[in-house]
Amino acid sequence: MSFLNSYIYYIGAFGLILVGLYIILVKHNLIKVIVGLGILDTGVNLFLISVGYITKGTAPIFSRPGINSEHMVDPVPQALVLTAIVIGVAVLALALSLAIRLYQHYGTLNLRKIREQKW
Amino acid sequence: MSEVGSLSNGVNPVLLIAVPLGLAFAIPLFALFWKGAAKYIPPAALAFNLVVSVLLLPQVLEKPVIVSIGGWQPPFCINLVAGPVGVLFSAIIALVGLLVSIYALDYIKEGPTEKYHMLYLLLLTGATGVVLTGDIFNLFVFFEILCISSYALVAYLRDKAGIESAVKYLIQGAVGSSLLLIGIGLLYGQFGTLNMADIAEKIASASPISLFVPMVLLITGLGVEAAIFPLNAWLPDAHSSAPSSISAILSGIAIEVGLYAVARVIFTIFGASSILLFLALLGIVTLLIGEMCAFSQNNIKRMLAYSSIGQIGLILFALAIATSYGVTGGLFQLVSHTLAKALLFLAAGYMIYQTGSLQISALEGMGKKMPLTCLAFTIGAFSLVGLPPFIGFPSKFLVVRAALATKETYFIVLICLALLCTVIEGAYFFRVVQVLYFKGGKTNPGPKEAPVTALIPMFIFVVLIVVVGIYPKLVTDVLKSAASELLSRTEYIKAVLGSIL
Repeated sequence: MSFLNSYIYYIGAFGLILVGLYIILVKHNLIKVIVGLGILDTGVNLFLISVGYITKGTAPIFSRPGINSEHMVDPVPQALVLTAIVIGVAVLALALSLAIRLYQHYGTLNLRKIREQKW
Repeated sequence: MSEVGSLSNGVNPVLLIAVPLGLAFAIPLFALFWKGAAKYIPPAALAFNLVVSVLLLPQVLEKPVIVSIGGWQPPFCINLVAGPVGVLFSAIIALVGLLVSIYALDYIKEGPTEKYHMLYLLLLTGATGVVLTGDIFNLFVFFEILCISSYALVAYLRDKAGIESAVKYLIQGAVGSSLLLIGIGLLYGQFGTLNMADIAEKIASASPISLFVPMVLLITGLGVEAAIFPLNAWLPDAHSSAPSSISAILSGIAIEVGLYAVARVIFTIFGASSILLFLALLGIVTLLIGEMCAFSQNNIKRMLAYSSIGQIGLILFALAIATSYGVTGGLFQLVSHTLAKALLFLAAGYMIYQTGSLQISALEGMGKKMPLTCLAFTIGAFSLVGLPPFIGFPSKFLVVRAALATKETYFIVLICLALLCTVIEGAYFFRVVQVLYFKGGKTNPGPKEAPVTALIPMFIFVVLIVVVGIYPKLVTDVLKSAASELLSRTEYIKAVLGSIL
């Protein structure tokens, strides 16, 4: 159980990453693929947070005297995740707007049926 | 902002990123007052970048300029490392970007043009940021700026092909960026730093097995944008469906920047020599696949796109030789490919515009109707194949010499395959040139010559290709110091962290 306790966030993060990759690779519907991209992003963000997380840690601010810096969580991954979330939102928004256009052109979102471009 | 190192005289490299980024977001504001203003801002911003890069160049050849942002010393701040590699790349990005933006003045007429110009400037800002930054997460952010603006620009024409290619490109690119971010997270977890020089310094103490996973993730993530062989399925679609000015930038700059990032990760961060033989093989496979697919194309832009894949393979092979000659040759080949491929796409753009068809057979007899554009296309094609006196000859020669100088059977066999690919390359480019000049005698008054705004950039590209082809010494000194920056990790670490070590 102690193994599970200390690695639960990593297991969750890589679980989400694998679920996202699976959806992207297997699903035919573009909306589902975009949902997969969202899950993949979430998994990566959770992974980044858990890199710097300490159980029962505090915010890294010296607000009161007597706060021990050893129990502070690492703020850098949180800053990274903020940036990564913004980037992920931009990508998802662009993907969804492309999906609308794709539907207008082809009348379908099934990626297996949209095959004008090929080798 | 505090400045470390010799920044007493000369310009600040931060301007290379700040000015185009600021102007890019100012474009919609300018367009509110005067809609025509939008298209003049990218040339102005890129001309500024070109001047700054050229002014910085002599200074950084002596000593890299390190800029720390936020008043902290490296490794605690985000820093810019304007070494020979960074400034060489930023100069090329600004030069090609400037010429292509002049071309786009008349070429981009339809659609929301101010958005085109804004995204175009953002794309080049992202590329400049990638080559100048010394922080691996900052590299990721700039890489995303580059990628997201290029997804949007591929879909700019909003036609069937463009949207489909953009969706493909976006999905593959987004997965690649996620892998890159996982790799960065693993590195941060091990070393507690994001500064590339700091990681490089601490990496010696880590066990090789724990480095393997982040290295593979980083190379795979960046390899999607660099179009290294199994990861390049998006490239022919995206490059052939985008507007021609964007194809020129994607082929000439975006994939080269991806390749730069791969080289930086391999040489500077990991100092990985064991993976180089594999990368050389991957480069040659990429080259073979690209050239063979290009040979079988009837669509001229797809042919050029596949040829870009091939050239990327050759550059990757040359970089993977990892001797001073090899990396110099790789960078030289990169410069020559950038100039020649941008010229080819620009020339092809107006030929397609005038004939209304992407098929090579539709170009019959264009040599008489658009003589200047066809001449530019021919020179670009000859340079890419590697004929003297164009720039492609010295660059390919340097790569071949570097491979032979290793005296290893492995590299010699691979370079023989690469030369075989050059023959294929010659075959399909000469076929197009033959169609342009020696086929079809119909004298129907149809296509006219391209406008002056397109001819001027093409002319400048032709001049650069010929002049550097005749006097390769003009660039080889810069390329040599750039190669030595990539190869000597300790110098890089000392330059960045020197103030605290």
